[in-house]
Amino acid sequence: MNEERKEYWRWAESRWTNPEISDWQGRTITAGVDIGSTSTQAVILVDGELFAYSNMRTGSDSPESANHAMAWALEGTGMTLDDLQYTIGTGYGRVNVPFADKCITEITCHARGANRIYGPSVRTILDMGGQDCKAIHCDERGRVTSFMMNDKCAAGTGRGMEAIANLLGVDIGEIGDRSFQVEEEPKPVSSMCVVFAKAEVAALMRSGWSKEMVLAAYCRAMAIRVCKLLTRNKMEPDFAITGGIAKNKGVVKRIEEIMGVTALEPQGYDTQIAGALGAAIIAIDMLKKKRARGG
Amino acid sequence: MVNDSNAESYLSPFSCSFCRGCFEHFLDGTYDFLNGFIASDGCLQPQRVYDNWKNYLKREDDFCYQFNTPRVYDEAALGMYRQELADLKHAVERWANYVTNDKLIEAIKVYNETRRLLRELYALRKGDAPLVTGEECLRITLASMSMRKDTFNELLSAFLEEARQREPITDYRARLMLIGSSCDSPEYLKIFEDKGGLFVTDVNCYGSRYLYDDVEIDEKDPLAGIARSYLARPVCGRMCNLHHELRDTILEMAKEYNVEGVVYTKMKNCDMWGGESFFLDDAIRDAGLSLLILEREEITANAGQVGIRAEAFVEMIETGGAD
Repeated sequence: MNEERKEYWRWAESRWTNPEISDWQGRTITAGVDIGSTSTQAVILVDGELFAYSNMRTGSDSPESANHAMAWALEGTGMTLDDLQYTIGTGYGRVNVPFADKCITEITCHARGANRIYGPSVRTILDMGGQDCKAIHCDERGRVTSFMMNDKCAAGTGRGMEAIANLLGVDIGEIGDRSFQVEEEPKPVSSMCVVFAKAEVAALMRSGWSKEMVLAAYCRAMAIRVCKLLTRNKMEPDFAITGGIAKNKGVVKRIEEIMGVTALEPQGYDTQIAGALGAAIIAIDMLKKKRARGG
Repeated sequence: MVNDSNAESYLSPFSCSFCRGCFEHFLDGTYDFLNGFIASDGCLQPQRVYDNWKNYLKREDDFCYQFNTPRVYDEAALGMYRQELADLKHAVERWANYVTNDKLIEAIKVYNETRRLLRELYALRKGDAPLVTGEECLRITLASMSMRKDTFNELLSAFLEEARQREPITDYRARLMLIGSSCDSPEYLKIFEDKGGLFVTDVNCYGSRYLYDDVEIDEKDPLAGIARSYLARPVCGRMCNLHHELRDTILEMAKEYNVEGVVYTKMKNCDMWGGESFFLDDAIRDAGLSLLILEREEITANAGQVGIRAEAFVEMIETGGAD
């Protein structure tokens, strides 16, 4: 019985380098690092174009997470930390990015990142992160015009979904598809507190519910919760979702159904890098200002 | 306030945490220096504090009184308010000493001097380079409400002289205004000011309430003068027929102080300022002001969470993202 216990919640970490950019020397190089409660991303831009990124779990030490994420993004590119001309830290750990020139909140950064990922028509952004959720409204340049965050509790966020994946023994990447394998949509789980929801889920399983029914009930409950947040802020049809939960069709489709909208497509970008990408874009403006001041 | 767990035994966690906080201080002895307690029924919650305070009164001869406040402004309400003031006066006289008209008029003059000085204090915040922060200003207005007014007037006069010689504040990133449920927590304002915001004015029970017009001195009937002056002020969300006046006051003040963003805090479970959103939110945005609505509790246990909202709000104003 020495078989290693599978961690169903563990989503795939990733990195990417743009094969079309090789001559980065002498060009404007900016970076963004988003240290969230659950995941950390590092994004590098060359003249504003996406050059490389990494996406990994946040460890217990924020500066170390930032260093690791950036080292992985730089890996194999020939670029070093010294080549980054301006770096912005964002996310909960934004003040702990050792090599950052400035830190900016993830709300501002996500809006700018979503503007790039989904195009300038996007107005309403739902950022579903590891332990919080934000409804953001922005203008055509990705500037925030209003925002609202969930209060106090991590319920209805990525961490809750991870806990349910582990409890049910379903890989986190399969939750979306499997939540639709039900004959009829069940009622949502009533408790959104992760601890209570786990107890409720266990009770549902004992009463004979299939895993698919439980997943459908949990995804619906999460969708209902975030839709309330969207309604309280400013909801427009040009709507996009960023963050890890944007990859979960089970939640996304149900949000679309409840709100009567279709979420914009991410045009090939990883939705989890929105914050770091926005930070790297803002870094271009900051670098220009710095140079204008003679810095 | 860091803990109100004793008061939670008497007042539900679903009540107003400001009121719970007041009762916590009664229980933990912070208010033992007080000889009396007057609750008003501006909303339901202070009444429950009154019930408990009276029931557990620590000294038999302490004064404990429930003052009823009207929720509309009209002739009938004015008459009722005048009568309530007279009843309060008689209750105080039975407990302590006679309150003569001369004494009342003298007190009104001292209070009006406080108002004049506080208007001067707020004037120091109007320009592009204010001389006092919102946090400091709230500490001063709180002092005005918890000490003898004549002593306070002397201290504030001295402070104003000193403040005019200060280096002005120029490194702020956004001019803010505080509105909403009672906020007696300078630390809460500091969270925003640490992130680059600067509160330049407010519509807050513990802030600008003294800025309004002086209380008129009615030589024949000072209580009627107090009733007229107090009841007409569009300062409280409880007034059912002054919603538009309250909205206009907020917008005029925002204009006068060149405000860029309004921080609207609602105490959790506060019906009045919760409902006021209906009259205020769109009007504030339509006036070109950025608006941040936050739920607050008397215990500032979530400073980090408020901080990120504060920082993002300052960034939003700074980048000119408002509609």
